[in-house]
Amino acid sequence: MGSPTSDTTMDTAIAGHLRRAMLDADPVLSRYNPLSRILVFDQFNSGTHGWTELIGNHDGEGNLDTVDDHMRDFRPPQLSSCTFFDVGTHGAMTGTYALKVATRPVTGHTAVAIRRLTMAKKGRVQFETYFTYKAEAASEENGASTQAGAGDWDGNIHPSEQQFGAFTIATDICDDRGERYHTVMRYQNTDLDNQFTRRWMYPVVPEPTPREHLEGKAKLAATDDFTAPNPQDWRQIGESQSFCYNEVPTKVNWHYLRWQIDTEARKNIELQVNDRVYDLRDVPVPVYEERYDSLDNLLNFYVSARTHTGVRNFLFLDSVLVSVDW
Amino acid sequence: MRQSQAAVLERYTVLTGDFTTEPYETGWAAEARWFVRVLESSTPDTKVVFTTQVSPDGLHWCDAEGQEQTAQGEGLVSWPVREFGQWLRIRGSVEGADRSAKVLIYLTLKD
Repeated sequence: MGSPTSDTTMDTAIAGHLRRAMLDADPVLSRYNPLSRILVFDQFNSGTHGWTELIGNHDGEGNLDTVDDHMRDFRPPQLSSCTFFDVGTHGAMTGTYALKVATRPVTGHTAVAIRRLTMAKKGRVQFETYFTYKAEAASEENGASTQAGAGDWDGNIHPSEQQFGAFTIATDICDDRGERYHTVMRYQNTDLDNQFTRRWMYPVVPEPTPREHLEGKAKLAATDDFTAPNPQDWRQIGESQSFCYNEVPTKVNWHYLRWQIDTEARKNIELQVNDRVYDLRDVPVPVYEERYDSLDNLLNFYVSARTHTGVRNFLFLDSVLVSVDW
Repeated sequence: MRQSQAAVLERYTVLTGDFTTEPYETGWAAEARWFVRVLESSTPDTKVVFTTQVSPDGLHWCDAEGQEQTAQGEGLVSWPVREFGQWLRIRGSVEGADRSAKVLIYLTLKD
């Protein structure tokens, strides 16, 4: 007969195997690796699941002229069938529809979709998704083939691949004492000169907020990089990573992403993207100096696409799963 | 329960001359309705005309069947669209070289 400690350990192991077996038996969930409690699972065949356009704050009269210039045009997310001019409907990884975040065809424009939750307890939080990204295909009207980043077609790499700027996944978190911070992971496909960089990055400063603008501490232009406006405030994580863009802007391959943070320790933990795993425990999390009211236990996730040229950039999410260890 | 969605395609945008809205995917929806709020117009008789456009690919556009719509001065105008395929947008024009209109444009969708 084993000791009480070893029995408990064995029970925990069996429970873990049983839980994983149940996930594996579910064709929908088996592709995910959730923590113990699934907080949300968004498949976009059944709507937007709370993903909406991010907008800045407005005054007491509802006058949207009081919204910061850089936070008033983040574009509404779309339920996309991933339809293209050459083949028609490509479809999502699951069913027909994905969530599409689309920029304007304006250099520096950022499109942002946000999902708003709160924390019932502090602890580990994990964001998982299957995603893909594309620059818009060229047409006579959009003139993409002559926009910055366009080059020669060599039969393999398509000029449009260098017209995709960056996509970002991030949080907006505030604890019950008003201490607010963001955790941010950005994939920068090209730099501001439309040259491939293909790397993961994080900012070392907190994002300027509407209150800081109202207090005269920050003023951003409409196309400034609102997450961290100064390129010098970004740092690279690990080695660069290339994706299967699949040569043209109309072929969609889905990539797995798993990002774990700890809201108790206020730290990043780990980022997995396909076959790469990045240890994020030394990635700093900048905290706002001031305390915030009205945001107790805030837990928001946002995703953004940012174009570095005059071509629309798209981020597609097939599905999203957020899990916690609460 | 039926799915529905409202999207704000232009927010406090000051329109002048000819314009088009950004493409918006609508393949999942069976019916749509545009709402345009003219918040400010340069004169009370400033006219903005709107035509719904459809597209098979989000790149190439033609006018949808149906009437051209007109907003005069400030206020709210609306019109429905059906059988529109994969994408919708508005092609429009503010009449008069020195005229402008500040607008909110909503697209509401239902399956």
